[in-house]
Amino acid sequence: MIANAVSAEHLKKSYGRKRVLDDVTFGIRRGEIAAIVGENGSGKSTVLKILTGLLRPDSGILRVRGRAGYCPQECQLFESLTVHENLLYFAAAYRLEDWRKSERNLLARLRFESFRDEQVSKLSGGTRQKLNLAIALLHDPDVLILDEPYSAFDWETYLRFWDLAADLKRSGKTVLLVSHFVYDRSQMDSVYELKGGTLQ
Amino acid sequence: MSLRRVLTCWSLSGRDLLRRRIVLLLIFLIPALFFGLTVLTTRNTVVLFKLAAAPGEPVVMVSERREALVFIGLAAAALIASFLGLNLAQRQVDATRRLVLCGFRSAEVSAAKGLLLICVMTAIGLWVTGLLIPWFKPAHPAGVLAGYVLTGFIYGAYGMVAGGLLKHELEGILCVVLLVNIDAGWLQNPIFYAEAQNRAVIRALPAYFPSQVAMLSAFSEHSVGVPLFRGILYGAVLLCIAFLILHQKLKIHGHLDPETGVS
Repeated sequence: MIANAVSAEHLKKSYGRKRVLDDVTFGIRRGEIAAIVGENGSGKSTVLKILTGLLRPDSGILRVRGRAGYCPQECQLFESLTVHENLLYFAAAYRLEDWRKSERNLLARLRFESFRDEQVSKLSGGTRQKLNLAIALLHDPDVLILDEPYSAFDWETYLRFWDLAADLKRSGKTVLLVSHFVYDRSQMDSVYELKGGTLQ
Repeated sequence: MSLRRVLTCWSLSGRDLLRRRIVLLLIFLIPALFFGLTVLTTRNTVVLFKLAAAPGEPVVMVSERREALVFIGLAAAALIASFLGLNLAQRQVDATRRLVLCGFRSAEVSAAKGLLLICVMTAIGLWVTGLLIPWFKPAHPAGVLAGYVLTGFIYGAYGMVAGGLLKHELEGILCVVLLVNIDAGWLQNPIFYAEAQNRAVIRALPAYFPSQVAMLSAFSEHSVGVPLFRGILYGAVLLCIAFLILHQKLKIHGHLDPETGVS
Protein backbone atom coordinates (compact mmCIF):
# COMPACT_ATOMS: atom_id res chain seq x y z
CA MET A 1 0.00 0.00 0.00
CA ILE A 2 1.39 3.41 -0.97
CA ALA A 3 1.31 5.96 1.84
CA ASN A 4 -0.41 9.25 1.22
CA ALA A 5 1.98 12.11 0.57
CA VAL A 6 -0.71 14.61 1.51
CA SER A 7 -3.62 13.73 3.73
CA ALA A 8 -6.35 15.79 5.33
CA GLU A 9 -8.76 14.39 7.87
CA HIS A 10 -11.95 16.15 8.88
CA LEU A 11 -10.64 19.64 8.30
CA LYS A 12 -12.94 22.37 9.56
CA LYS A 13 -12.46 26.08 9.34
CA SER A 14 -14.78 29.02 9.96
CA TYR A 15 -14.29 32.75 9.68
CA GLY A 16 -16.54 34.11 12.41
CA ARG A 17 -19.92 32.48 11.86
CA LYS A 18 -19.21 31.56 8.29
CA ARG A 19 -18.07 27.96 7.88
CA VAL A 20 -15.67 27.75 4.97
CA LEU A 21 -14.47 24.15 5.27
CA ASP A 22 -16.82 21.52 6.60
CA ASP A 23 -15.27 18.14 7.31
CA VAL A 24 -12.90 18.01 4.36
CA THR A 25 -11.07 14.72 4.02
CA PHE A 26 -8.82 13.67 1.19
CA GLY A 27 -5.61 11.78 0.50
CA ILE A 28 -3.12 12.15 -2.31
CA ARG A 29 -0.72 9.31 -2.87
CA ARG A 30 2.97 9.61 -3.49
CA GLY A 31 3.71 10.06 -7.19
CA GLU A 32 0.27 11.43 -8.04
CA ILE A 33 -0.70 14.58 -9.85
CA ALA A 34 -3.86 15.84 -8.20
CA ALA A 35 -5.97 18.96 -8.35
CA ILE A 36 -8.33 20.67 -5.98
CA VAL A 37 -10.70 22.80 -8.00
CA GLY A 38 -13.50 25.09 -7.03
CA GLU A 39 -15.16 28.39 -7.74
CA ASN A 40 -14.41 31.62 -5.90
CA GLY A 41 -15.48 31.31 -2.28
CA SER A 42 -15.51 27.50 -2.35
CA GLY A 43 -12.80 27.26 0.30
CA LYS A 44 -9.97 26.49 -2.10
CA SER A 45 -7.70 29.29 -0.82
CA THR A 46 -8.39 28.27 2.76
CA VAL A 47 -7.30 24.70 2.02
CA LEU A 48 -4.19 26.10 0.37
CA LYS A 49 -3.37 28.36 3.32
CA ILE A 50 -3.78 25.46 5.71
CA LEU A 51 -1.62 23.27 3.47
CA THR A 52 1.20 25.78 3.47
CA GLY A 53 1.01 26.65 7.15
CA LEU A 54 -0.32 30.18 6.70
CA LEU A 55 -3.53 29.31 8.52
CA ARG A 56 -4.44 26.91 11.30
CA PRO A 57 -7.61 24.80 10.92
CA ASP A 58 -10.24 24.93 13.69
CA SER A 59 -10.06 21.15 13.84
CA GLY A 60 -8.79 18.23 11.83
CA ILE A 61 -5.40 16.90 10.88
CA LEU A 62 -3.28 17.70 7.89
CA ARG A 63 -0.11 15.84 7.00
CA VAL A 64 2.38 16.56 4.26
CA ARG A 65 5.04 13.86 4.19
CA GLY A 66 8.48 14.98 3.07
CA ARG A 67 9.74 18.33 1.88
CA ALA A 68 7.10 20.62 0.43
CA GLY A 69 7.52 23.32 -2.18
CA TYR A 70 4.96 26.08 -2.61
CA CYS A 71 4.37 28.22 -5.66
CA PRO A 72 1.89 31.07 -4.97
CA GLN A 73 -0.37 32.48 -7.65
CA GLU A 74 0.97 36.03 -7.29
CA CYS A 75 4.70 36.14 -7.81
CA GLN A 76 6.21 36.73 -4.38
CA LEU A 77 9.69 37.88 -5.34
CA PHE A 78 12.19 40.58 -4.41
CA GLU A 79 11.80 43.12 -7.20
CA SER A 80 15.15 44.91 -6.93
CA LEU A 81 17.16 41.71 -6.72
CA THR A 82 18.27 39.63 -9.69
CA VAL A 83 16.98 36.15 -10.53
CA HIS A 84 20.18 34.66 -9.07
CA GLU A 85 19.92 36.73 -5.87
CA ASN A 86 16.30 35.67 -5.37
CA LEU A 87 17.36 32.03 -5.68
CA LEU A 88 20.26 32.67 -3.29
CA TYR A 89 17.83 34.15 -0.75
CA PHE A 90 15.50 31.16 -0.87
CA ALA A 91 18.40 28.69 -0.89
CA ALA A 92 19.40 30.22 2.45
CA ALA A 93 15.82 29.82 3.68
CA TYR A 94 15.82 26.14 2.66
CA ARG A 95 19.25 25.73 4.31
CA LEU A 96 20.76 24.43 1.06
CA GLU A 97 24.53 24.13 0.91
CA ASP A 98 25.06 23.03 -2.66
CA TRP A 99 22.33 24.54 -4.78
CA ARG A 100 24.21 25.96 -7.80
CA LYS A 101 23.66 22.79 -9.83
CA SER A 102 19.98 22.87 -8.99
CA GLU A 103 19.90 26.55 -10.06
CA ARG A 104 21.56 25.75 -13.41
CA ASN A 105 19.19 22.85 -14.05
CA LEU A 106 16.07 24.86 -13.25
CA LEU A 107 17.11 27.86 -15.31
CA ALA A 108 17.83 25.55 -18.24
CA ARG A 109 14.72 23.45 -17.76
CA LEU A 110 12.43 26.45 -17.63
CA ARG A 111 14.48 28.22 -20.29
CA PHE A 112 15.41 31.47 -18.64
CA GLU A 113 19.18 31.11 -18.15
CA SER A 114 19.79 34.37 -20.01
CA PHE A 115 17.84 36.27 -17.32
CA ARG A 116 19.98 34.99 -14.41
CA ASP A 117 21.53 38.40 -13.72
CA GLU A 118 18.48 40.53 -14.60
CA GLN A 119 16.57 42.37 -11.89
CA VAL A 120 13.10 40.93 -11.33
CA SER A 121 11.51 44.35 -11.88
CA LYS A 122 12.71 44.21 -15.50
CA LEU A 123 11.31 40.75 -16.26
CA SER A 124 8.12 39.93 -18.18
CA GLY A 125 5.17 38.36 -16.34
CA GLY A 126 5.93 34.90 -17.78
CA THR A 127 9.59 34.97 -16.74
CA ARG A 128 8.63 36.09 -13.23
CA GLN A 129 6.26 33.15 -13.03
CA LYS A 130 9.09 30.84 -14.08
CA LEU A 131 11.23 32.20 -11.23
CA ASN A 132 8.26 31.85 -8.88
CA LEU A 133 8.05 28.17 -9.85
CA ALA A 134 11.84 27.69 -9.76
CA ILE A 135 11.89 28.87 -6.12
CA ALA A 136 9.31 26.23 -5.22
CA LEU A 137 11.45 23.55 -6.92
CA LEU A 138 14.88 24.70 -5.74
CA HIS A 139 15.14 22.30 -2.80
CA ASP A 140 13.87 19.30 -4.78
CA PRO A 141 10.61 18.97 -2.83
CA ASP A 142 8.75 15.69 -2.40
CA VAL A 143 5.41 17.48 -2.61
CA LEU A 144 4.87 20.45 -4.88
CA ILE A 145 1.89 22.67 -4.08
CA LEU A 146 0.90 25.03 -6.87
CA ASP A 147 -1.65 27.82 -6.73
CA GLU A 148 -2.97 28.64 -10.22
CA PRO A 149 0.50 27.92 -11.57
CA TYR A 150 0.02 28.59 -15.25
CA SER A 151 -1.99 31.80 -15.21
CA ALA A 152 0.91 33.85 -16.65
CA PHE A 153 2.50 31.12 -18.81
CA ASP A 154 2.61 31.29 -22.57
CA TRP A 155 1.63 28.14 -24.48
CA GLU A 156 5.18 26.81 -24.76
CA THR A 157 5.86 27.28 -21.06
CA TYR A 158 2.51 25.69 -20.27
CA LEU A 159 3.50 22.56 -22.22
CA ARG A 160 6.94 22.61 -20.61
CA PHE A 161 5.28 22.80 -17.20
CA TRP A 162 3.37 19.58 -17.91
CA ASP A 163 6.57 17.88 -19.05
CA LEU A 164 8.12 18.92 -15.77
CA ALA A 165 5.11 17.69 -13.79
CA ALA A 166 5.29 14.33 -15.62
CA ASP A 167 9.00 14.05 -14.77
CA LEU A 168 8.30 14.83 -11.12
CA LYS A 169 5.61 12.16 -11.09
CA ARG A 170 8.00 9.63 -12.64
CA SER A 171 10.53 10.31 -9.93
CA GLY A 172 7.92 9.66 -7.25
CA LYS A 173 7.10 13.27 -6.41
CA THR A 174 3.60 14.47 -5.71
CA VAL A 175 2.11 17.47 -7.44
CA LEU A 176 -0.96 19.20 -6.06
CA LEU A 177 -2.61 21.95 -8.05
CA VAL A 178 -5.17 24.28 -6.58
CA SER A 179 -7.09 26.05 -9.29
CA HIS A 180 -10.40 27.50 -10.45
CA PHE A 181 -10.55 24.73 -12.99
CA VAL A 182 -8.18 22.38 -14.78
CA TYR A 183 -7.66 22.65 -18.52
CA ASP A 184 -6.64 19.09 -19.03
CA ARG A 185 -8.09 16.47 -16.74
CA SER A 186 -6.25 13.71 -18.61
CA GLN A 187 -3.01 14.89 -16.99
CA MET A 188 -4.45 14.34 -13.51
CA ASP A 189 -4.59 11.21 -11.42
CA SER A 190 -7.32 12.67 -9.27
CA VAL A 191 -9.43 15.82 -9.17
CA TYR A 192 -11.25 16.97 -6.04
CA GLU A 193 -13.96 19.54 -6.37
CA LEU A 194 -14.70 21.85 -3.47
CA LYS A 195 -18.25 23.14 -3.26
CA GLY A 196 -19.61 25.06 -0.34
CA GLY A 197 -16.76 23.94 1.87
CA THR A 198 -17.11 20.21 1.21
CA LEU A 199 -15.47 17.91 -1.27
CA GLN A 200 -17.64 16.50 -4.05
CA MET B 1 18.88 31.49 14.88
CA SER B 2 21.65 31.20 12.31
CA LEU B 3 24.21 34.01 11.99
CA ARG B 4 24.90 32.99 8.41
CA ARG B 5 21.27 33.43 7.46
CA VAL B 6 21.08 36.77 9.30
CA LEU B 7 24.07 37.95 7.26
CA THR B 8 22.56 36.67 3.99
CA CYS B 9 19.32 38.49 4.78
CA TRP B 10 21.26 41.62 5.79
CA SER B 11 23.27 41.63 2.59
CA LEU B 12 20.32 40.97 0.25
CA SER B 13 17.99 43.40 2.07
CA GLY B 14 20.73 46.02 1.74
CA ARG B 15 21.06 45.45 -2.00
CA ASP B 16 17.30 45.49 -2.35
CA LEU B 17 17.06 48.81 -0.48
CA LEU B 18 20.01 50.62 -2.03
CA ARG B 19 19.12 49.69 -5.60
CA ARG B 20 16.07 51.92 -5.41
CA ARG B 21 16.85 55.21 -7.10
CA ILE B 22 14.64 57.21 -4.72
CA VAL B 23 16.59 55.89 -1.73
CA LEU B 24 19.94 56.99 -3.14
CA LEU B 25 18.49 60.34 -4.18
CA LEU B 26 17.20 60.92 -0.66
CA ILE B 27 20.46 59.90 0.98
CA PHE B 28 22.62 62.16 -1.18
CA LEU B 29 20.32 65.05 -2.00
CA ILE B 30 18.37 65.77 1.19
CA PRO B 31 21.33 66.65 3.46
CA ALA B 32 23.04 68.66 0.69
CA LEU B 33 19.82 70.52 -0.08
CA PHE B 34 19.03 71.21 3.58
CA PHE B 35 22.54 72.49 4.30
CA GLY B 36 22.56 74.57 1.11
CA LEU B 37 19.27 76.26 1.96
CA THR B 38 20.39 76.91 5.54
CA VAL B 39 23.64 78.55 4.44
CA LEU B 40 21.70 80.67 1.94
CA THR B 41 19.02 81.83 4.36
CA THR B 42 20.81 82.35 7.70
CA ARG B 43 23.16 85.06 8.98
CA ASN B 44 26.10 85.07 11.33
CA THR B 45 24.30 87.10 14.00
CA VAL B 46 24.60 85.85 17.56
CA VAL B 47 21.74 83.92 19.15
CA LEU B 48 21.27 82.75 22.73
CA PHE B 49 19.81 79.42 23.75
CA LYS B 50 19.77 76.99 26.65
CA LEU B 51 21.40 73.56 26.61
CA ALA B 52 18.45 71.69 28.07
CA ALA B 53 20.26 68.43 28.83
CA ALA B 54 23.23 70.04 30.62
CA PRO B 55 23.14 70.53 34.41
CA GLY B 56 21.59 73.92 35.25
CA GLU B 57 20.58 74.50 31.61
CA PRO B 58 23.48 76.86 30.79
CA VAL B 59 22.97 79.51 28.13
CA VAL B 60 25.31 79.56 25.14
CA MET B 61 25.91 82.29 22.59
CA VAL B 62 26.56 81.09 19.07
CA SER B 63 26.19 82.16 15.47
CA GLU B 64 22.66 81.71 14.14
CA ARG B 65 24.01 79.95 11.04
CA ARG B 66 26.03 77.44 13.05
CA GLU B 67 23.12 76.59 15.31
CA ALA B 68 20.85 76.19 12.30
CA LEU B 69 23.38 73.99 10.48
CA VAL B 70 23.72 71.55 13.37
CA PHE B 71 19.94 71.49 13.78
CA ILE B 72 19.12 71.00 10.09
CA GLY B 73 21.56 68.07 9.96
CA LEU B 74 19.37 66.37 12.57
CA ALA B 75 16.24 67.00 10.54
CA ALA B 76 17.90 65.56 7.41
CA ALA B 77 19.09 62.42 9.22
CA ALA B 78 15.65 61.94 10.81
CA LEU B 79 13.82 62.30 7.49
CA ILE B 80 16.05 59.83 5.64
CA ALA B 81 16.06 57.33 8.51
CA SER B 82 12.30 57.30 8.95
CA PHE B 83 11.81 56.77 5.22
CA LEU B 84 14.32 53.90 5.14
CA GLY B 85 12.79 52.30 8.23
CA LEU B 86 9.36 52.57 6.64
CA ASN B 87 10.67 50.90 3.50
CA LEU B 88 12.33 48.08 5.40
CA ALA B 89 9.13 47.17 7.22
CA GLN B 90 6.52 47.90 4.57
CA ARG B 91 7.89 46.80 1.22
CA GLN B 92 7.62 43.26 -0.15
CA VAL B 93 6.01 41.78 2.92
CA ASP B 94 4.59 38.89 0.87
CA ALA B 95 8.01 37.89 -0.44
CA THR B 96 9.47 38.16 3.06
CA ARG B 97 6.65 36.04 4.41
CA ARG B 98 7.39 33.46 1.75
CA LEU B 99 10.98 33.40 2.98
CA VAL B 100 9.69 32.64 6.48
CA LEU B 101 7.42 29.96 5.06
CA CYS B 102 10.45 28.38 3.37
CA GLY B 103 12.49 28.23 6.56
CA PHE B 104 13.76 31.66 7.64
CA ARG B 105 12.90 32.57 11.21
CA SER B 106 11.12 35.90 11.62
CA ALA B 107 13.72 36.75 14.32
CA GLU B 108 16.47 36.31 11.71
CA VAL B 109 14.68 38.66 9.33
CA SER B 110 14.14 41.24 12.11
CA ALA B 111 17.74 41.02 13.30
CA ALA B 112 19.01 41.49 9.73
CA LYS B 113 16.79 44.52 9.18
CA GLY B 114 17.77 46.09 12.50
CA LEU B 115 21.46 45.55 11.72
CA LEU B 116 21.01 47.02 8.25
CA LEU B 117 19.29 50.07 9.68
CA ILE B 118 22.17 50.69 12.11
CA CYS B 119 24.80 50.29 9.34
CA VAL B 120 22.98 52.58 6.90
CA MET B 121 22.39 55.19 9.60
CA THR B 122 26.05 55.17 10.60
CA ALA B 123 26.98 55.81 6.96
CA ILE B 124 24.37 58.59 6.71
CA GLY B 125 25.62 60.09 10.00
CA LEU B 126 29.14 60.20 8.57
CA TRP B 127 27.86 61.77 5.34
CA VAL B 128 25.85 64.48 7.14
CA THR B 129 28.72 65.27 9.55
CA GLY B 130 31.09 65.41 6.57
CA LEU B 131 28.81 67.95 4.89
CA LEU B 132 28.61 70.06 8.07
CA ILE B 133 32.35 70.34 8.74
CA PRO B 134 33.30 72.59 5.75
CA TRP B 135 30.85 75.20 7.14
CA PHE B 136 31.46 74.81 10.82
CA LYS B 137 33.85 72.74 12.92
CA PRO B 138 31.98 71.61 16.06
CA ALA B 139 33.72 71.46 19.44
CA HIS B 140 33.40 67.67 19.36
CA PRO B 141 32.72 66.34 15.84
CA ALA B 142 32.46 62.74 17.09
CA GLY B 143 29.69 63.80 19.47
CA VAL B 144 27.78 65.51 16.66
CA LEU B 145 28.21 62.35 14.58
CA ALA B 146 26.82 60.36 17.53
CA GLY B 147 23.82 62.71 17.66
CA TYR B 148 23.12 62.20 13.94
CA VAL B 149 23.51 58.42 14.13
CA LEU B 150 21.26 58.36 17.21
CA THR B 151 18.60 60.40 15.37
CA GLY B 152 18.82 57.90 12.54
CA PHE B 153 18.54 54.96 14.90
CA ILE B 154 15.48 56.33 16.71
CA TYR B 155 13.70 57.62 13.62
CA GLY B 156 14.60 54.48 11.64
CA ALA B 157 12.97 52.40 14.36
CA TYR B 158 9.96 54.75 14.34
CA GLY B 159 9.73 54.32 10.55
CA MET B 160 9.75 50.54 11.02
CA VAL B 161 6.93 50.79 13.57
CA ALA B 162 4.91 52.95 11.15
CA GLY B 163 5.71 50.58 8.27
CA GLY B 164 4.61 47.61 10.33
CA LEU B 165 1.33 49.19 11.36
CA LEU B 166 0.30 50.91 8.14
CA LYS B 167 -0.42 48.96 5.00
CA HIS B 168 -0.20 51.66 2.36
CA GLU B 169 2.96 53.53 1.45
CA LEU B 170 1.30 56.94 1.23
CA GLU B 171 -0.15 56.70 4.75
CA GLY B 172 3.26 55.63 6.01
CA ILE B 173 5.08 58.51 4.32
CA LEU B 174 2.55 60.99 5.68
CA CYS B 175 2.91 59.55 9.17
CA VAL B 176 6.72 59.77 9.24
CA VAL B 177 7.02 63.14 7.46
CA LEU B 178 4.52 64.75 9.84
CA LEU B 179 6.37 63.75 13.00
CA VAL B 180 9.81 64.49 11.56
CA ASN B 181 8.64 67.95 10.54
CA ILE B 182 7.10 68.80 13.87
CA ASP B 183 9.71 67.18 16.07
CA ALA B 184 13.13 67.18 14.39
CA GLY B 185 12.29 70.10 12.09
CA TRP B 186 10.75 72.46 14.61
CA LEU B 187 10.18 71.66 18.31
CA GLN B 188 13.71 70.45 19.04
CA ASN B 189 15.30 73.62 17.76
CA PRO B 190 16.87 74.96 20.99
CA ILE B 191 15.88 78.53 20.11
CA PHE B 192 12.22 77.50 20.07
CA TYR B 193 12.64 75.16 23.04
CA ALA B 194 13.98 77.94 25.28
CA GLU B 195 10.66 79.81 25.12
CA ALA B 196 8.30 76.84 24.76
CA GLN B 197 5.55 75.85 27.19
CA ASN B 198 4.96 72.28 28.33
CA ARG B 199 8.53 71.27 27.65
CA ALA B 200 7.84 67.78 28.99
CA VAL B 201 5.97 67.12 25.73
CA ILE B 202 9.02 68.14 23.71
CA ARG B 203 11.29 66.02 25.89
CA ALA B 204 9.13 62.96 25.19
CA LEU B 205 9.50 63.23 21.42
CA PRO B 206 11.98 61.01 19.50
CA ALA B 207 14.47 63.70 18.48
CA TYR B 208 14.96 65.21 21.95
CA PHE B 209 17.93 63.12 23.13
CA PRO B 210 19.75 63.08 19.77
CA SER B 211 19.34 66.85 19.37
CA GLN B 212 20.77 67.38 22.87
CA VAL B 213 23.72 65.10 22.10
CA ALA B 214 24.44 67.03 18.90
CA MET B 215 24.01 70.50 20.45
CA LEU B 216 26.06 69.73 23.57
CA SER B 217 28.84 68.29 21.41
CA ALA B 218 28.79 71.14 18.92
CA PHE B 219 28.75 74.07 21.35
CA SER B 220 29.96 72.96 24.79
CA GLU B 221 32.31 70.81 26.81
CA HIS B 222 29.52 69.13 28.75
CA SER B 223 29.30 65.35 28.85
CA VAL B 224 26.77 63.72 26.51
CA GLY B 225 26.71 60.41 28.41
CA VAL B 226 23.22 60.75 29.92
CA PRO B 227 21.29 61.92 26.80
CA LEU B 228 23.24 59.43 24.67
CA PHE B 229 22.31 56.55 26.95
CA ARG B 230 18.67 57.64 27.19
CA GLY B 231 18.52 58.06 23.43
CA ILE B 232 19.88 54.56 22.85
CA LEU B 233 17.29 53.23 25.31
CA TYR B 234 14.50 55.17 23.53
CA GLY B 235 15.59 53.77 20.16
CA ALA B 236 15.97 50.23 21.53
CA VAL B 237 12.41 50.30 22.91
CA LEU B 238 11.06 51.51 19.55
CA LEU B 239 13.08 48.86 17.72
CA CYS B 240 11.69 46.13 20.01
CA ILE B 241 8.16 47.34 19.25
CA ALA B 242 9.01 47.30 15.53
CA PHE B 243 10.33 43.71 15.83
CA LEU B 244 7.18 42.58 17.64
CA ILE B 245 4.98 44.07 14.91
CA LEU B 246 7.16 42.53 12.20
CA HIS B 247 7.04 39.16 13.94
CA GLN B 248 3.27 39.36 14.05
CA LYS B 249 3.15 40.30 10.36
CA LEU B 250 5.36 37.41 9.32
CA LYS B 251 3.75 34.88 11.62
CA ILE B 252 2.95 31.47 10.16
CA HIS B 253 1.61 28.28 11.73
CA GLY B 254 4.05 25.81 10.22
CA HIS B 255 7.07 25.81 7.93
CA LEU B 256 7.44 24.07 4.62
CA ASP B 257 10.18 22.41 6.56
CA PRO B 258 13.05 21.04 4.50
CA GLU B 259 13.41 18.07 6.82
CA THR B 260 10.01 17.11 8.13
CA GLY B 261 7.33 18.70 5.99
CA VAL B 262 4.16 20.28 7.34
CA SER B 263 2.05 18.43 9.84
